[in-house]
Amino acid sequence: MRFCRVRSVAEAVDELSRWGTEGRILAGGTDVMPQYLRGEQSPAVLIDISGIDGLGGISDVGGVTSIGALVTMRRLATASLIALRHPALSQAAAAVGAWQTQTVATLGGNICTAAATADTLPALLIADAQLTLVSKSGRRRIGLEDFLAGSGATALRPTELLRAVELEPLGERSSEGYLKVARRSAMDLAVVGLALRLDVAPSGVIDGVRIAMCGGDQSAHRVSAAESALLGTRLSDDPGAFGEVGAVLADAVGSAALPEAQYRRRVLPGLFDRLARRCAGEIAGAGA
Amino acid sequence: MPASRSEQNVTVRLVVNDRAHELEADAGETLLATLRDRLGLTGPKEACGEGECGACTVLVDGGPVASCILAAGSTNGRAVRTVEGLAGAGDLTTLQQAFVRHAAVQCGYCTPGVLMVLTALLEKVSEPTEAEVRQALAGNICRCTGYQQIVEAAVDAARAVAS
Repeated sequence: MRFCRVRSVAEAVDELSRWGTEGRILAGGTDVMPQYLRGEQSPAVLIDISGIDGLGGISDVGGVTSIGALVTMRRLATASLIALRHPALSQAAAAVGAWQTQTVATLGGNICTAAATADTLPALLIADAQLTLVSKSGRRRIGLEDFLAGSGATALRPTELLRAVELEPLGERSSEGYLKVARRSAMDLAVVGLALRLDVAPSGVIDGVRIAMCGGDQSAHRVSAAESALLGTRLSDDPGAFGEVGAVLADAVGSAALPEAQYRRRVLPGLFDRLARRCAGEIAGAGA
Repeated sequence: MPASRSEQNVTVRLVVNDRAHELEADAGETLLATLRDRLGLTGPKEACGEGECGACTVLVDGGPVASCILAAGSTNGRAVRTVEGLAGAGDLTTLQQAFVRHAAVQCGYCTPGVLMVLTALLEKVSEPTEAEVRQALAGNICRCTGYQQIVEAAVDAARAVAS
């Protein structure tokens, strides 16, 4: 195996084009290295992109949040712009592994590894994440939901590099969050994780709902049936609606899902209830 | 490293405990292997080998990492600190002295990693709360102390550093 260090996106896509399926992109390495050390992966070359300048930024581009693929979990968990505009992502990044993991693990890595239980994916899905992929032949944009293609599978071609992610920020009368169930409160994968974004009209009617789940199927995904069940209900006077949505979420756990589907169905209503009450409380507290 | 797989070398220039090094590492070599086997720094320990337990924790550019799953090649141009870099001319740091006072060390295997993550915390947060100390320690497993003495030592050291 070779170790190939690239300094620019242009160099990276050159190497990816040269090596194709024989190359493996190395960013933080928190998934790639353990797989290599266990002998599960034997690439001909590790293409180390961690030294590329320009992929580590968080910026506002015309009201859209743009996050470079090399932004680390620690940065996401501590950046004030993310806490303000994408609290669910901030919370999800803080829930990945422990500090040691978060120091090096990147957003691009979490997306492209595409674990069924990846914490950041539900938080990205409720912000309608659009990915920019680059290769020697150009660039293309793809929505995250279309990008994810099963546990560990994505639409990324072997010659492509994920460059940046664009997110739609939280609105003014909105709240969002991420919560997960895991065996331990830190350093553990999600059994199931939920992200919720609520938009509330001045009348108190919930006029926007986005709900996404990880751990409930082979890929993280939006749950439109649950969104419909909550849309149009009132924020304050009907907490019963939350129970209904929880039941819809439980039904959405795929039969082909990971082991313990029954357990996931069982914990989802309670998880949703906690998350929804927290989001509703934040909107109420903000003077809605 | 599995001996059956052929590995090409990668040149790594890095600073470890304020000393510059240039060395040839195997392509898939971990930073932990480089530190222990090439540089003789056996403070960082290998326990799980999968980035789960924190015994191998060192600081890279000030942030704690699990060196057992970090590619040595990725640390080119970076500054690494290990537990050997804490005590200057034989003087223990405030944190290390607190560990001694509070008997926060039993078998000692987790201690180098625990000291490094807490060193990072004390450098970033002026007087961390007990909750922040426990959060920082979430990636470090200690099977002896039950963590209580470690947490008390860290809180005590934080107070001493702040005052």
